[in-house]
Amino acid sequence: MTQANSALQATADDVAVSYPSPLKEFWQGFSFNKGAVAGMLFMLVVFFAAIFAPWVAPYSPIEQFRDHLLTPPAWLEGGSSAYLLGTDELGRDILSRLIHGARLSLFIGVSSVLMSLIPGIALGLVAAFFPRVAGPAIMRLMDVMMALPALLLAVAIVAILGPGLINTMIAIAVVALPGYVRLTRASALTELNRDYVTASRVAGAGKLRLMFVTVLPNCMAPLIVHATMSFSSAILEAAALGFLGLGVQPPTPEWGTMLASARDYIERAWWVVTMPGLTILFSVLAINLMGDGLRDALDPKLKRAA
Amino acid sequence: MFTFILRRLGLLIPTFFGITLLTFGLIRMIPGDPVEVMMGERSLDPQMHAEALHRLGLDKPLYAQYFDYLSNLARGDLGQSLVTRENVWAEFTTLFPATLELALCAMLFASVVGLLAGVLAAIKRGSLFDHGVMGISLTGFSMPIFWWGLVLIMFFSVSLGWTPVSGRLDLMFDIPPDTGFMLIDAWRAEAADPEYNAGAFKDALMHLILPSIVLGTIPLAVIARMTRSSMLEVMQEDYVRTARAKGLSPARVIFVHTLRNALIPVLTVMGLQVGVLMGGAVLTETIFSWPGIGKWLIDAIGRRDYPVVQNGILIVATLVILTNFIVDILYGIANPRIRHAK
Repeated sequence: MTQANSALQATADDVAVSYPSPLKEFWQGFSFNKGAVAGMLFMLVVFFAAIFAPWVAPYSPIEQFRDHLLTPPAWLEGGSSAYLLGTDELGRDILSRLIHGARLSLFIGVSSVLMSLIPGIALGLVAAFFPRVAGPAIMRLMDVMMALPALLLAVAIVAILGPGLINTMIAIAVVALPGYVRLTRASALTELNRDYVTASRVAGAGKLRLMFVTVLPNCMAPLIVHATMSFSSAILEAAALGFLGLGVQPPTPEWGTMLASARDYIERAWWVVTMPGLTILFSVLAINLMGDGLRDALDPKLKRAA
Repeated sequence: MFTFILRRLGLLIPTFFGITLLTFGLIRMIPGDPVEVMMGERSLDPQMHAEALHRLGLDKPLYAQYFDYLSNLARGDLGQSLVTRENVWAEFTTLFPATLELALCAMLFASVVGLLAGVLAAIKRGSLFDHGVMGISLTGFSMPIFWWGLVLIMFFSVSLGWTPVSGRLDLMFDIPPDTGFMLIDAWRAEAADPEYNAGAFKDALMHLILPSIVLGTIPLAVIARMTRSSMLEVMQEDYVRTARAKGLSPARVIFVHTLRNALIPVLTVMGLQVGVLMGGAVLTETIFSWPGIGKWLIDAIGRRDYPVVQNGILIVATLVILTNFIVDILYGIANPRIRHAK
């Protein structure tokens, strides 16, 4: 009896050894990519700073220190340790503005990803499950949206709706929508031919159950990777709209908007231009690195492709 | 081949009508109506308002308005700008060469550097150079190009004084826009009158360098990555091994046997960059005050010049789908499997 028990125990151990938990397996794949881990650490810091911005930032983002206009960063001659990254043309602390700007950029990024991910999945599933009428109609509509250069479409949408935070998010979400729809439809179509879907269908599962419970979970890996990548392009597009004066309006410290007003100072105060730009670049780069790692970890088939 | 082109053309037509619906709907979604927008802040006599609406055909039902819009398009009438009173198509054709010149130079820069870097990285896979190329291209891919433009201006124009800050040509030159391509126009003007137009070509070239680099950065990153992965894939094919085993020189194996086949997906990606270029042109032209389509559209949006916004977007979108169509056809020519796929 005890022998049988220990034998059972041994098999269980073997199973545990050969099949690590999904989370552990994911982490092994992800942490193999050093860049992805570095990107994740950077983004954790940015997220932390964004969430606790009022406590982390040394000053208010709109407080103007009139005696310290265009103060250089602390490590330069004339810099002051009170303003680590220097001040802008109105004497506002750049570091504080960047930290508060992180809130805005990440908020825009997360919300616009959600705003395109959810309808994108729904439309993509409908397109895959109703290939006669709804499918082609949805896909033609997506073709039309893809024909417009992303930024131009976003600019057009903001031009109609008017500049502002909410409209920026809507514009970015609309631009990203076709990507999700096409990806969801393509992966759902592959899954639809699998035996487990047929089995579920034969067992009497309804269309809705097939769509969301049977098929969707198996399409999530590429969608998660795509969502990460579109999170970074959302940040870029939000900054571009801000730069063009069509995004979040001043004095709100949005990264792109900060650059728009900094253009007039490129001859005198390089830090006013450099700091917001580097922040955008590093954040987008970090997210893209994370995306690469996620792809390696979640979607081993794609590993060799790119 | 003929049926293949026809089939692709058949897909093109609904997309085009979809775009006209979109640009048509765009104007109708603006709060208020176009007459109010045109008249601006002034208070409007209700009767005059109704007359203006009638004159513009805006009191008709929507489907009739859409039909009017389509028939105007079919006659080549894209309306006129509210600000300059110029024909939208005429404005487009004067400005388009500037964008095309910039886009071509950007693409040239991106393809030459991208292909070279991609091929070298693939040959020296795993080396420091390879990691460098991959790192730099990921950075380029993540680049906010409007900021990149400012940084380049700050460094090369302001600090070093090597390149001009903005525009297409120094104001002291007066070159007639024969072709609209500043490089060609300046070259011809300088050849015609070497004394008066001395240095015009060089000046035009210097104006082009920074904007081309800025606009070409993202395509460059994409092309380099794509070339590398495509090369790595083809290098494992049997025929490449055969070529090597036959004793062909490494250069011949790389450039004739491998690169030629690796180029097919790269060419597709290049074609797809047209949309990226048009989007990037909006930012690049704004930074460098480049008088092209991107700046035209942004200015029109700022001035609420809706006919320009509406039909400018229509033209750009049509250009993008046409280029994608041509890329599709070329791809079909290069790869029979695509041509015969159902």
